[in-house]
Amino acid sequence: MRIIKNLTIGMSLIMGSQLVAAAGSGTTLDTVNPEADRMALRSYYQSRFPDSELSDYVNGIYAVDADSRSQWEELEEFPPYEFDVEEGERLFNTPFANGKGYADCFENGGIGIRQNFPYWNKEQGTVKTLEQEINECRENNGEAPLKWGKGAIAKVSAYMAWTSRGKVFDIKIPEGDKEALAAYLDGKEFFYTKRGQLNLSCSNCHLQGSNIRIRADLAGPALGHPSHFPVFRSKWGELGTLHRRYKGCHQDSRSKPLDMQSTTFRNLEFFQTYMSNGLVVNGPGSRK
Amino acid sequence: MRKLTTSMCAAGLLALIATAPASAATVDDVIAEGKAVYMGKSRGNCISCHQINDPDANLPGNQGPPMVAMAQRFPDKRLLRAQIWDASKTNPITIMPPLGKHWILSEEEIDAVVEYIYQF
Amino acid sequence: MKKLITMMAIVLLPNVAMAETYDEVFEMNRAMYGKGHTFSWEGKEYSTNHPEEIEASVEATKENADALIAKAKAENEAAAKVGFEWKLTKGIIKDAEAASAEGDYSKALTLAAQAKYHARLGVQQQIDAEKNWHLSVPQ
Repeated sequence: MRIIKNLTIGMSLIMGSQLVAAAGSGTTLDTVNPEADRMALRSYYQSRFPDSELSDYVNGIYAVDADSRSQWEELEEFPPYEFDVEEGERLFNTPFANGKGYADCFENGGIGIRQNFPYWNKEQGTVKTLEQEINECRENNGEAPLKWGKGAIAKVSAYMAWTSRGKVFDIKIPEGDKEALAAYLDGKEFFYTKRGQLNLSCSNCHLQGSNIRIRADLAGPALGHPSHFPVFRSKWGELGTLHRRYKGCHQDSRSKPLDMQSTTFRNLEFFQTYMSNGLVVNGPGSRK
Repeated sequence: MRKLTTSMCAAGLLALIATAPASAATVDDVIAEGKAVYMGKSRGNCISCHQINDPDANLPGNQGPPMVAMAQRFPDKRLLRAQIWDASKTNPITIMPPLGKHWILSEEEIDAVVEYIYQF
Repeated sequence: MKKLITMMAIVLLPNVAMAETYDEVFEMNRAMYGKGHTFSWEGKEYSTNHPEEIEASVEATKENADALIAKAKAENEAAAKVGFEWKLTKGIIKDAEAASAEGDYSKALTLAAQAKYHARLGVQQQIDAEKNWHLSVPQ
């Protein structure tokens, strides 16, 4: 019995390893190939849910589950984030005490640029997220930074996403930049690594477990995950940022969670958004 | 009535397998405790992933296999116990938490849940 | 084909070898029988009680309780250092400290043992995760 089990594991590993060689991505800085990872993730979902369009993955679980989709479509007729987008626009256009505003900090006055985040900042040697630059904009203009998870920062981010709807994510890892590649790899490793007392990885629920019930909940697919954030989540009863969700998920594995906007969470966002390259911005979204 | 039959059946199995002879009353207690562990969100929360043919099972998930034919699937009850204790032993990427190895449940709670699911 | 055989050897060998280590045999017995069971390994008898349960079985005094609490804290720091601190550990340590302060040293020992075990498994989890995370990546 034990031998059979070992053989089964052995065979599945062999089949896995053979494919590693074919796809050409690995788990070290020398072998990792983001583009191969992205294609592999896409084909994983295509073979699992052959009836779902790739472009539909920006709609999360609703791309793969027809029942919850109809409920969600009803909800989206009067989107719960509508007032937040309006409030975000107001906040975005309210000048700081020094007379400047968010528009002065961003390319194109901050309009239609969500798809460029997060990006690798070579000078600072780190991944920069939109929320991070919203707060940097404030601090550079003598304003206090906003709290990361919800409230004003989520609203401003939601408005900026709203103005970018339909734009295609195109996250770049500069050719030959080992540091940028290392940040990507760190995010990738975090996504697939089991952690916490419950020994859960992001991928346990959002890759293997996507569209399979955990009690009455369906975990959404990882592909397209960051496209619709910030999100008005029914469970929260309000709008929240991607890092708020990261922290909650991390904690749900019974880990002491990382801080929002910590290096690793930013690297995770870098990896996840790179995986979603080719999909469009459709934030803010509404989710269960 | 059905419940009575199953618990008597389980009592019979227990008497065969358990090392210490157990009276019917304590077997019922163990099974009731196992059920509480199975259903309890802050305990085993097994129901979040495993269907079980118990009228009290409300909105079970389906991440893992349903709890059917347990005695046939695990003729050696100890191997069922080991699977609950650490499912990652046989499948390192399983979503199932290692309930014993990570001391999520106590050893007594694991024994109880084994008795409960072994009826199905 | 040659590659397949090499892969096979790489995959199967650790399983065979691991089955012979003390940790493997301990874990298998603990998984099947719980605590308080005796098993033999390389001709000697061992208990399935894990190190923390043995550490907690000392006399319930303030000194012993506080010493085990200190060990739990140190182990949890080691887990945090590798990024694998578990959510409940700090709270369990706090409860152990409270029990010790109230003079319930037996409870303090039990809780400290659990916290130390959790922390040690967190450290172990990081090592296992490093080895296994690639298995989850779609290819």
